Amino acid sequence: MDYLVNPVILYSLVALSGVGVWLTLPRKGFNPQILGGLIAGIAVGGIMLALGLAAGDHAPNLFFYVFAAVALGAGLRMITHPRPVYAALFFILTILASAGMYLLLSAEFMAFALIIVYAGAILITYLFVIMLATQGQTEDEEQAQAEEYDKVAREPGSAVLIGFVLLAMFSTMLGRGMESLPTPDPARVDAVLGMMPLKIERDMKRDGLIEADEKVAGAAGVHMETRTVDVTSPRGGREGVAMPADLHASNVQSVGFVLLGQHPGAIEIAGVILLMAMLGAVVLARKKVEIEDQAKLDAARLMREGGSL
Amino acid sequence: MMQTLAQAAYPQAMHDVTLYHYLFVSAGMFVLGLIGFLTRRNMIVMFLCTEMMFQASGLALIAFSRFYLHHTGQAFVIFVLTVAAAEAAMALALVVLLYRKHSSLDGLLFAELRG
Repeated sequence: MDYLVNPVILYSLVALSGVGVWLTLPRKGFNPQILGGLIAGIAVGGIMLALGLAAGDHAPNLFFYVFAAVALGAGLRMITHPRPVYAALFFILTILASAGMYLLLSAEFMAFALIIVYAGAILITYLFVIMLATQGQTEDEEQAQAEEYDKVAREPGSAVLIGFVLLAMFSTMLGRGMESLPTPDPARVDAVLGMMPLKIERDMKRDGLIEADEKVAGAAGVHMETRTVDVTSPRGGREGVAMPADLHASNVQSVGFVLLGQHPGAIEIAGVILLMAMLGAVVLARKKVEIEDQAKLDAARLMREGGSL
Repeated sequence: MMQTLAQAAYPQAMHDVTLYHYLFVSAGMFVLGLIGFLTRRNMIVMFLCTEMMFQASGLALIAFSRFYLHHTGQAFVIFVLTVAAAEAAMALALVVLLYRKHSSLDGLLFAELRG
């Protein structure tokens, strides 16, 4: 059993970061938040360093470490900041950092969808509700009373214990290394290309590999195993024309084909979920319009007499 | 430049040690969200923390999708986003409703909701 990171070091660092997070949580009186943040940062940095040393040449690039530090640091600040508006803003920072990690993982479409949907829409809704449901700054005394529940963490000890036991469990798997992970086949990325004869035709025409009057013979004419295509033309056509080696389906094309080709029902269900959520939100948040009794009586009399409102 | 940064260009497979880095960050974000959900008493911040847990699961899905060179993981993140958006809409409607009743966002006030 080869450990990526020595388990003793790994677990002590996880425990140390737990202590750091516990110190960071808001409480009354002595509040060593900066010290706690430093301890948690050093401990997580130590785990990252140990993982990076174990990885050697396979260590992720520098941007990964920057984004990871921003994501985890902003996440920590989010759960410790006493003002909800700042917590939401720090969460936007976490979102942006994870969008950066999505880019490093070659998921361009999801990275930008994340920024648009999460940072752009969901978090703005949160900000609106925070502003709607927070008292004004005028009465200082009342304000201090009202925000009491934001200033003190509820049972920080047991929450941190549960959380970091969970993290230790996760990192057991990480530290040990999952030996049975199957090695993926790089050719599989381009399997989806077989469904895109028009894209292949366009790209090959641009590179001058096929003539202007030649056409790729549909999806059946694309042979992904050999990376060749059959082309038809008024002059007869050819078989087995090689595709350029750098012809790949883009991220958006692949995600689109997987989403609509393999999970069309799931998209419909997602649409129904969104519709139901919208209906539910409208029904829950609407205000009952109060009509005075006299107005009701007047309206009823008016209708009884055959008049109109 | 990509060589010195030591991350394989896209169609090449990613080494599993690189995957563990992303999974560790994902686990860390999930745990932070969990701790926030347990310790904060402000309803809105509690729901923000659940969003952070969604976010962590999304990062793990994307990392696995990159590792296996398979796009289903990325497609699944779209559904995670859908559920997160639906949850945000419902949760915020409930929060607005409860705020109208109590003029406070303290989660402990809503202990009355127990059946």
